[in-house]
Amino acid sequence: MNCKSSSARTAVTSIVVSLFLATALHAQAPARPATPEVAPKQAAPIDLTGYWVAVVTEDWRWRMVTPAKGDYASVPINLAAKTMADKWDPSKDEAAGEQCRSYGAPAIMRVPGRLHITWQDDRTLKVETDAGEQTRLLRFDEPKTPAGAPTWQGISLAKWETPRVPALGAGDPQPKAAFGDLKVTTSHLRPGYLRKNGIPYSDKTQMTEYWDLSTEHYLTGTHNGEQWLVVTTQVTDPTYLQEDWITSLNFRKEPDGSKWDPEPCSAKW
Amino acid sequence: MTKNPAMKRNKRHAPIAAALLFAWGFTLSAPLHAEVDLAGEWADKYHEEWPERIPGPDVVDYTGLPLNNAARMKADSWEASVQTLPERQCIAHPFPYSLRGPANLKIWPELDPVSSRPIAWKMFGTFGRATHTVWMDGRSHPSKNALHTFEGFTTGVWEGDMLTTYTTHIKLGYLRRNGVPTSDETTVTEHWVRHGNILTATVIVEDPVYLTEPYIRSSNWVLDPQQMVLSTPCEPVVEVARKPGAVPHYLPGTNPFINEETDLYKIPLEAVRGGAETMYPEYRKKLKDKYVAPARCERYCCGWGNNAAAGSLGCIVGGSANNP
Repeated sequence: MNCKSSSARTAVTSIVVSLFLATALHAQAPARPATPEVAPKQAAPIDLTGYWVAVVTEDWRWRMVTPAKGDYASVPINLAAKTMADKWDPSKDEAAGEQCRSYGAPAIMRVPGRLHITWQDDRTLKVETDAGEQTRLLRFDEPKTPAGAPTWQGISLAKWETPRVPALGAGDPQPKAAFGDLKVTTSHLRPGYLRKNGIPYSDKTQMTEYWDLSTEHYLTGTHNGEQWLVVTTQVTDPTYLQEDWITSLNFRKEPDGSKWDPEPCSAKW
Repeated sequence: MTKNPAMKRNKRHAPIAAALLFAWGFTLSAPLHAEVDLAGEWADKYHEEWPERIPGPDVVDYTGLPLNNAARMKADSWEASVQTLPERQCIAHPFPYSLRGPANLKIWPELDPVSSRPIAWKMFGTFGRATHTVWMDGRSHPSKNALHTFEGFTTGVWEGDMLTTYTTHIKLGYLRRNGVPTSDETTVTEHWVRHGNILTATVIVEDPVYLTEPYIRSSNWVLDPQQMVLSTPCEPVVEVARKPGAVPHYLPGTNPFINEETDLYKIPLEAVRGGAETMYPEYRKKLKDKYVAPARCERYCCGWGNNAAAGSLGCIVGGSANNP
């Protein structure tokens, strides 16, 4: 018997068998018995509930104070947007009852303030803001009734995104994901302002957000264990933007609502 | 037939080989860890703080920074022309700042030649060709007395689909491109997440010497396969004739730009000087009675990237320009 040919046969057989088994095991995965659907509240891979404070370390000059008329830096506006924004008149907005224009969904997360996030029910996250006293409802189901008139916060559809985890073997339950993020898509928006000084967004605006959570284990310092929520936001507006406006907002978790300080919308401040 | 010892050895090893090959075959179709591929060309989006990140910040603009008095004093001594010194012209942007500056990125993994697992992630494109290397092989950070560099020493770990990294051994540098200092005791935590074609890096800086609390900022890139980040060699030249040894600076109390931010944007000086208190919503209420917006934006009024589209909008981009 030729030793080399025997070894080669063993190796070839091993490769064929291992590839076959690997394929077969994966092919079996979808055949697992269907498990009852777990409600989004129970399936949440991360806990977003609680009080969160906006930490304004970026775009300070455009967020903490109302910038000058004509200051459109960083926002990829087109000429139509500039023409519109150059006519910004906050007094006129107030008189028209439009003082919440800069508190719509594409802007509200940039307004310095606090978020209070709770589960309204098993399939709806409620995000309240003290600045402007707005409420966003992040629904995990398509609305069953026709949408009414567009609103400042629009209609938001939410979905958990969880990382792929290794298959443990045929029939083994998938471990519950310990990590993940929330994807939110928002449309049906009432036209408003991306920035307090009148940079407009239109009723054609759509927004996609990714809500990511981290718990810190710093190498130095005394802040270990603090939680950060970073919301990456992509605003698409064919009417007023030359390209998607992509930003990310940073919130730190607070122990309670003792600093919650509701304040109505203001067109001027 | 004489039994060949080598053949016997082969037969004895056959089951082991089969098991290893099985495991190899399995890994072809299943991820061993929850992680994502960060590799590619990533174009920076300057949709936040464009004036600071591209033209450059105002000299005494410390807004939104949790600085202490030592940091303010050192930053006040910074004179912009120090950057024209030949020995400083090619210095890489220090890591606590570099991802915030102009930074189109090329990211790739360094692979173990046997397992093909990433040993490190390489991120290239920040100013000064200081490649950010994130070691993924579980190695320890060096002794605290080891060399400190502008890039520092970084290790990483996957937390689900989030790459979390820790950087130490960073040389003294700056947090903002206007001289706001960072010390050699600075450490940085990063969180990298990829959502489709959007890449977000959250950077948290700790500095017991100059910061009173962790400083966070997050930046965004989009996948751009047509981008090609290349090396940009830097060659120092004499830009300004000076006496040997002269280092541009301001002595305490002599910086003439202390009030520039207030003059331009009407922001009260106490806010321009930064501090942790100024980062929180309640501070906005303190400003309410002290701030009146300027009648009109006078410079850097449009801009968001490296294209010329903003210019075509007719926005003011310089202090002396007139808005058409």
